Amino acid sequence: MAFDADTAARLAAGIGMGLATLGPGIGIGYLTGRTSEAIARQPEASGDIRTAFIIGMALTEALALYAFVIAIILIFVA
Amino acid sequence: MLLALAEEAAESKVVGALHELNVQTVISFPKLGPIDLSITNAVIYMWVSAVVVFLFFFIAAKRSKNEPEKLQTTAEIMLNFATGHLTGQIGEKGKKYYYLILTIFAYIFVTNIIGLIPKLEVLKPYTPTANINVTAGMAIVVFLVTQYQGFHRHGVGGYLKSWMTPPGVPKAIGVPLNVIFFPVHLMGEFFKPLSLSVRLFGNTIAGHLIILVMLGLILEFASAIVIIPAALFVIIMTAFEVFVAFIQAYIFSLLSVVYIESAIYAGH
Repeated sequence: MAFDADTAARLAAGIGMGLATLGPGIGIGYLTGRTSEAIARQPEASGDIRTAFIIGMALTEALALYAFVIAIILIFVA
Repeated sequence: MLLALAEEAAESKVVGALHELNVQTVISFPKLGPIDLSITNAVIYMWVSAVVVFLFFFIAAKRSKNEPEKLQTTAEIMLNFATGHLTGQIGEKGKKYYYLILTIFAYIFVTNIIGLIPKLEVLKPYTPTANINVTAGMAIVVFLVTQYQGFHRHGVGGYLKSWMTPPGVPKAIGVPLNVIFFPVHLMGEFFKPLSLSVRLFGNTIAGHLIILVMLGLILEFASAIVIIPAALFVIIMTAFEVFVAFIQAYIFSLLSVVYIESAIYAGH
Protein backbone atom coordinates (compact mmCIF):
# COMPACT_ATOMS: atom_id res chain seq x y z
CA MET A 1 0.00 0.00 0.00
CA ALA A 2 1.53 3.24 -1.15
CA PHE A 3 1.77 6.17 1.24
CA ASP A 4 -0.21 8.63 -0.87
CA ALA A 5 -2.10 11.80 0.05
CA ASP A 6 -5.24 9.88 0.99
CA THR A 7 -3.39 7.67 3.47
CA ALA A 8 -1.65 10.70 4.92
CA ALA A 9 -4.99 12.47 5.39
CA ARG A 10 -6.52 9.47 7.23
CA LEU A 11 -3.41 9.10 9.40
CA ALA A 12 -3.49 12.80 10.23
CA ALA A 13 -7.18 12.57 11.12
CA GLY A 14 -6.59 9.71 13.54
CA ILE A 15 -3.49 11.13 15.20
CA GLY A 16 -4.94 14.63 15.33
CA MET A 17 -8.19 13.44 16.90
CA GLY A 18 -6.28 11.48 19.52
CA LEU A 19 -4.06 14.41 20.41
CA ALA A 20 -7.01 16.81 20.46
CA THR A 21 -8.81 14.81 23.15
CA LEU A 22 -5.89 15.22 25.58
CA GLY A 23 -6.36 18.90 26.38
CA PRO A 24 -10.16 18.89 26.80
CA GLY A 25 -9.87 15.64 28.77
CA ILE A 26 -7.56 17.28 31.31
CA GLY A 27 -9.73 20.40 31.27
CA ILE A 28 -13.04 18.62 31.90
CA GLY A 29 -11.45 16.50 34.61
CA TYR A 30 -10.13 19.56 36.40
CA LEU A 31 -13.49 21.31 35.96
CA THR A 32 -15.47 18.37 37.35
CA GLY A 33 -13.12 18.00 40.31
CA ARG A 34 -13.38 21.65 41.23
CA THR A 35 -17.17 21.61 40.75
CA SER A 36 -17.66 18.69 43.13
CA GLU A 37 -15.33 20.40 45.59
CA ALA A 38 -17.38 23.59 45.37
CA ILE A 39 -20.70 21.74 45.75
CA ALA A 40 -19.32 19.82 48.74
CA ARG A 41 -18.25 23.08 50.34
CA GLN A 42 -21.49 24.93 49.62
CA PRO A 43 -24.36 22.57 48.75
CA GLU A 44 -26.92 25.41 48.81
CA ALA A 45 -25.19 27.09 45.82
CA SER A 46 -25.19 23.88 43.74
CA GLY A 47 -27.63 25.27 41.14
CA ASP A 48 -25.42 28.21 40.17
CA ILE A 49 -22.28 26.09 40.32
CA ARG A 50 -23.83 23.51 38.01
CA THR A 51 -24.78 26.18 35.47
CA ALA A 52 -21.23 27.54 35.47
CA PHE A 53 -19.94 23.97 35.18
CA ILE A 54 -22.10 23.23 32.13
CA ILE A 55 -21.04 26.44 30.38
CA GLY A 56 -17.39 25.69 31.10
CA MET A 57 -17.77 22.11 29.98
CA ALA A 58 -19.40 23.21 26.72
CA LEU A 59 -16.59 25.65 25.98
CA THR A 60 -13.90 23.06 26.80
CA GLU A 61 -15.57 20.29 24.86
CA ALA A 62 -15.83 22.51 21.79
CA LEU A 63 -12.03 22.31 21.35
CA ALA A 64 -12.17 18.55 20.81
CA LEU A 65 -15.13 18.99 18.50
CA TYR A 66 -13.23 21.43 16.29
CA ALA A 67 -10.59 18.72 15.85
CA PHE A 68 -13.35 16.19 15.18
CA VAL A 69 -14.79 18.35 12.40
CA ILE A 70 -11.30 18.81 10.93
CA ALA A 71 -10.83 15.03 11.05
CA ILE A 72 -14.12 14.50 9.21
CA ILE A 73 -13.06 17.07 6.60
CA LEU A 74 -9.68 15.33 6.21
CA ILE A 75 -11.26 11.93 5.68
CA PHE A 76 -14.27 12.73 3.52
CA VAL A 77 -13.45 15.96 1.71
CA ALA A 78 -9.69 16.16 1.24
CA MET B 1 -19.58 15.60 2.49
CA LEU B 2 -20.61 12.05 3.36
CA LEU B 3 -21.62 11.22 -0.19
CA ALA B 4 -18.30 9.46 -0.69
CA LEU B 5 -19.56 6.90 1.80
CA ALA B 6 -22.36 5.81 -0.49
CA GLU B 7 -19.91 4.73 -3.19
CA GLU B 8 -17.93 2.59 -0.77
CA ALA B 9 -21.09 1.12 0.75
CA ALA B 10 -20.91 -2.01 -1.37
CA GLU B 11 -17.49 -2.87 0.03
CA SER B 12 -18.10 -3.08 3.76
CA LYS B 13 -21.18 -3.38 5.93
CA VAL B 14 -19.65 -1.01 8.51
CA VAL B 15 -19.54 1.71 5.88
CA GLY B 16 -22.99 0.62 4.68
CA ALA B 17 -24.43 1.33 8.14
CA LEU B 18 -23.14 4.90 7.88
CA HIS B 19 -25.50 5.35 4.94
CA GLU B 20 -28.00 6.80 7.42
CA LEU B 21 -25.90 9.96 7.61
CA ASN B 22 -26.45 10.76 3.92
CA VAL B 23 -29.04 13.27 2.77
CA GLN B 24 -31.46 11.59 0.36
CA THR B 25 -33.76 13.42 -2.00
CA VAL B 26 -37.42 12.47 -1.62
CA ILE B 27 -39.12 14.82 -4.09
CA SER B 28 -36.76 16.44 -6.59
CA PHE B 29 -37.40 19.82 -8.16
CA PRO B 30 -35.42 21.31 -11.08
CA LYS B 31 -32.45 23.36 -9.90
CA LEU B 32 -32.69 27.18 -9.88
CA GLY B 33 -29.08 27.88 -10.79
CA PRO B 34 -26.92 26.85 -7.83
CA ILE B 35 -29.93 26.59 -5.50
CA ASP B 36 -31.39 23.13 -5.07
CA LEU B 37 -34.86 23.31 -3.54
CA SER B 38 -35.53 19.57 -3.62
CA ILE B 39 -37.30 18.13 -0.59
CA THR B 40 -34.88 15.82 1.20
CA ASN B 41 -35.33 13.54 4.18
CA ALA B 42 -33.49 16.13 6.31
CA VAL B 43 -36.12 18.76 5.49
CA ILE B 44 -38.95 16.34 6.21
CA TYR B 45 -37.55 15.44 9.64
CA MET B 46 -37.12 19.14 10.42
CA TRP B 47 -40.78 19.71 9.54
CA VAL B 48 -41.82 16.74 11.66
CA SER B 49 -39.93 18.10 14.69
CA ALA B 50 -41.34 21.58 14.16
CA VAL B 51 -44.88 20.17 13.98
CA VAL B 52 -44.30 18.09 17.13
CA VAL B 53 -43.04 21.14 19.05
CA PHE B 54 -45.92 23.28 17.76
CA LEU B 55 -48.62 20.70 18.51
CA PHE B 56 -47.24 20.00 21.98
CA PHE B 57 -47.44 23.63 23.09
CA PHE B 58 -50.62 24.32 21.09
CA ILE B 59 -52.56 21.43 22.62
CA ALA B 60 -51.13 22.16 26.07
CA ALA B 61 -52.26 25.80 25.78
CA LYS B 62 -55.72 24.85 24.42
CA ARG B 63 -56.39 22.35 27.15
CA SER B 64 -55.02 24.44 30.01
CA LYS B 65 -57.28 24.46 33.05
CA ASN B 66 -57.07 25.48 36.64
CA GLU B 67 -56.30 21.93 37.71
CA PRO B 68 -53.42 21.05 35.40
CA GLU B 69 -53.11 17.62 33.84
CA LYS B 70 -49.93 15.81 32.85
CA LEU B 71 -49.57 17.60 29.51
CA GLN B 72 -50.09 21.06 30.94
CA THR B 73 -47.73 20.36 33.83
CA THR B 74 -44.99 19.30 31.42
CA ALA B 75 -45.48 22.38 29.24
CA GLU B 76 -45.49 24.62 32.32
CA ILE B 77 -42.30 23.04 33.62
CA MET B 78 -40.62 23.72 30.28
CA LEU B 79 -41.91 27.30 30.19
CA ASN B 80 -40.72 27.93 33.75
CA PHE B 81 -37.41 26.34 32.85
CA ALA B 82 -36.98 28.73 29.92
CA THR B 83 -38.25 31.87 31.66
CA GLY B 84 -36.62 31.22 35.01
CA HIS B 85 -33.60 29.06 34.71
CA LEU B 86 -32.39 29.83 31.20
CA THR B 87 -33.26 33.47 30.81
CA GLY B 88 -32.94 34.39 34.46
CA GLN B 89 -29.68 36.09 33.62
CA ILE B 90 -31.03 38.39 30.90
CA GLY B 91 -33.42 40.12 33.27
CA GLU B 92 -36.17 42.55 32.29
CA LYS B 93 -34.50 43.80 29.11
CA GLY B 94 -34.44 40.42 27.45
CA LYS B 95 -38.00 39.37 28.28
CA LYS B 96 -39.08 39.10 24.66
CA TYR B 97 -36.40 36.49 23.98
CA TYR B 98 -37.94 33.98 26.41
CA TYR B 99 -39.87 32.42 23.58
CA LEU B 100 -36.95 32.35 21.15
CA ILE B 101 -34.91 30.49 23.74
CA LEU B 102 -37.78 28.14 24.63
CA THR B 103 -38.35 27.40 20.92
CA ILE B 104 -34.66 26.71 20.31
CA PHE B 105 -34.52 24.44 23.35
CA ALA B 106 -37.66 22.47 22.50
CA TYR B 107 -36.80 22.22 18.80
CA ILE B 108 -33.24 20.92 19.32
CA PHE B 109 -34.39 18.47 21.99
CA VAL B 110 -37.22 17.07 19.85
CA THR B 111 -35.00 16.87 16.75
CA ASN B 112 -32.30 14.99 18.64
CA ILE B 113 -34.79 12.57 20.19
CA ILE B 114 -36.55 11.90 16.86
CA GLY B 115 -33.15 11.19 15.33
CA LEU B 116 -32.42 8.63 18.05
CA ILE B 117 -35.64 6.63 17.54
CA PRO B 118 -34.83 3.60 15.36
CA LYS B 119 -36.73 3.80 12.09
CA LEU B 120 -37.39 1.54 9.11
CA GLU B 121 -35.32 2.00 5.96
CA VAL B 122 -38.53 3.08 4.13
CA LEU B 123 -38.77 6.19 6.31
CA LYS B 124 -35.25 7.29 5.21
CA PRO B 125 -33.94 7.96 8.75
CA TYR B 126 -31.95 11.12 9.26
CA THR B 127 -31.06 13.46 12.13
CA PRO B 128 -31.25 17.11 11.02
CA THR B 129 -28.96 18.25 13.84
CA ALA B 130 -26.23 15.95 12.45
CA ASN B 131 -26.03 18.35 9.51
CA ILE B 132 -23.86 21.45 9.93
CA ASN B 133 -26.23 23.54 7.76
CA VAL B 134 -29.13 23.08 10.19
CA THR B 135 -27.11 23.94 13.30
CA ALA B 136 -25.40 26.84 11.51
CA GLY B 137 -28.83 28.20 10.56
CA MET B 138 -29.90 28.30 14.18
CA ALA B 139 -26.57 29.76 15.30
CA ILE B 140 -26.86 32.53 12.68
CA VAL B 141 -30.30 33.49 14.02
CA VAL B 142 -28.77 33.81 17.50
CA PHE B 143 -25.86 35.80 16.03
CA LEU B 144 -28.22 38.24 14.26
CA VAL B 145 -30.29 38.73 17.43
CA THR B 146 -27.11 39.34 19.43
CA GLN B 147 -25.73 41.94 17.02
CA TYR B 148 -29.14 43.62 16.65
CA GLN B 149 -29.39 43.95 20.43
CA GLY B 150 -25.85 45.35 20.65
CA PHE B 151 -26.28 47.98 17.96
CA HIS B 152 -29.87 48.80 18.96
CA ARG B 153 -29.16 49.36 22.67
CA HIS B 154 -25.78 51.06 22.54
CA GLY B 155 -25.72 52.67 19.08
CA VAL B 156 -23.03 51.86 16.53
CA GLY B 157 -20.35 53.91 18.31
CA GLY B 158 -21.23 52.70 21.78
CA TYR B 159 -21.28 49.04 20.80
CA LEU B 160 -18.00 49.23 18.90
CA LYS B 161 -16.51 51.06 21.88
CA SER B 162 -17.33 48.10 24.13
CA TRP B 163 -14.92 46.05 22.02
CA MET B 164 -12.05 48.47 22.75
CA THR B 165 -9.87 48.55 25.89
CA PRO B 166 -12.06 48.72 29.00
CA PRO B 167 -12.47 52.12 30.68
CA GLY B 168 -10.03 52.88 33.49
CA VAL B 169 -6.92 51.97 31.55
CA PRO B 170 -4.55 54.97 31.16
CA LYS B 171 -4.83 56.49 27.67
CA ALA B 172 -1.13 56.16 26.91
CA ILE B 173 -1.40 52.37 27.16
CA GLY B 174 -5.09 51.95 26.32
CA VAL B 175 -5.17 53.57 22.88
CA PRO B 176 -2.29 51.57 21.35
CA LEU B 177 -3.66 48.38 22.90
CA ASN B 178 -6.81 48.77 20.77
CA VAL B 179 -4.79 47.35 17.89
CA ILE B 180 -4.99 44.03 19.74
CA PHE B 181 -8.32 44.40 21.56
CA PHE B 182 -10.54 45.37 18.64
CA PRO B 183 -9.61 42.56 16.20
CA VAL B 184 -9.74 39.97 18.98
CA HIS B 185 -13.25 41.04 20.02
CA LEU B 186 -14.35 41.22 16.39
CA MET B 187 -13.10 37.69 15.75
CA GLY B 188 -14.68 36.57 18.99
CA GLU B 189 -18.09 37.74 17.79
CA PHE B 190 -17.78 35.58 14.67
CA PHE B 191 -16.43 32.59 16.58
CA LYS B 192 -19.50 32.50 18.83
CA PRO B 193 -21.94 31.23 16.15
CA LEU B 194 -19.19 28.99 14.74
CA SER B 195 -18.61 27.27 18.06
CA LEU B 196 -22.38 27.06 18.75
CA SER B 197 -23.06 25.28 15.47
CA VAL B 198 -19.98 23.05 15.53
CA ARG B 199 -20.68 21.95 19.11
CA LEU B 200 -24.21 20.74 18.39
CA PHE B 201 -23.25 19.21 15.04
CA GLY B 202 -20.15 17.50 16.45
CA ASN B 203 -21.89 16.04 19.48
CA THR B 204 -24.83 14.69 17.49
CA ILE B 205 -22.82 13.23 14.61
CA ALA B 206 -20.19 11.75 16.95
CA GLY B 207 -22.83 9.86 18.92
CA HIS B 208 -24.56 8.63 15.78
CA LEU B 209 -21.26 7.60 14.19
CA ILE B 210 -20.32 5.48 17.21
CA ILE B 211 -23.74 3.79 17.34
CA LEU B 212 -23.79 3.18 13.57
CA VAL B 213 -20.24 1.80 13.48
CA MET B 214 -21.10 -0.62 16.29
CA LEU B 215 -24.26 -1.73 14.43
CA GLY B 216 -22.16 -2.14 11.29
CA LEU B 217 -19.70 -4.34 13.21
CA ILE B 218 -22.60 -6.58 14.26
CA LEU B 219 -23.59 -7.02 10.60
CA GLU B 220 -20.01 -7.47 9.43
CA PHE B 221 -18.86 -10.13 11.94
CA ALA B 222 -21.95 -12.20 12.65
CA SER B 223 -20.48 -14.03 15.67
CA ALA B 224 -21.38 -14.02 19.36
CA ILE B 225 -17.95 -12.67 20.40
CA VAL B 226 -18.67 -9.40 18.62
CA ILE B 227 -22.45 -9.23 18.83
CA ILE B 228 -22.86 -9.43 22.65
CA PRO B 229 -20.42 -6.64 23.64
CA ALA B 230 -21.39 -4.51 20.63
CA ALA B 231 -25.12 -4.82 21.37
CA LEU B 232 -24.55 -3.95 25.04
CA PHE B 233 -22.43 -0.98 24.01
CA VAL B 234 -25.10 0.22 21.58
CA ILE B 235 -27.79 0.05 24.30
CA ILE B 236 -25.65 2.00 26.79
CA MET B 237 -24.57 4.50 24.14
CA THR B 238 -28.16 5.13 23.04
CA ALA B 239 -29.18 5.80 26.63
CA PHE B 240 -26.22 8.17 26.94
CA GLU B 241 -27.25 9.88 23.69
CA VAL B 242 -30.69 10.66 25.15
CA PHE B 243 -28.87 12.45 27.96
CA VAL B 244 -26.58 14.19 25.43
CA ALA B 245 -29.64 15.28 23.42
CA PHE B 246 -30.99 17.07 26.49
CA ILE B 247 -27.60 18.50 27.55
CA GLN B 248 -26.88 19.83 24.06
CA ALA B 249 -30.28 21.48 23.76
CA TYR B 250 -29.69 23.00 27.19
CA ILE B 251 -26.17 24.18 26.33
CA PHE B 252 -27.23 25.68 23.00
CA SER B 253 -30.03 27.69 24.61
CA LEU B 254 -27.94 28.60 27.67
CA LEU B 255 -25.07 29.90 25.53
CA SER B 256 -27.56 31.79 23.33
CA VAL B 257 -28.78 33.48 26.51
CA VAL B 258 -25.21 34.27 27.56
CA TYR B 259 -24.37 35.76 24.14
CA ILE B 260 -27.55 37.85 23.89
CA GLU B 261 -27.03 39.00 27.48
CA SER B 262 -23.43 40.01 26.77
CA ALA B 263 -24.65 42.20 23.89
CA ILE B 264 -27.45 43.78 25.96
CA TYR B 265 -25.08 44.66 28.79
CA ALA B 266 -22.04 45.34 26.56
CA GLY B 267 -19.40 47.48 28.22
CA HIS B 268 -20.41 46.62 31.80
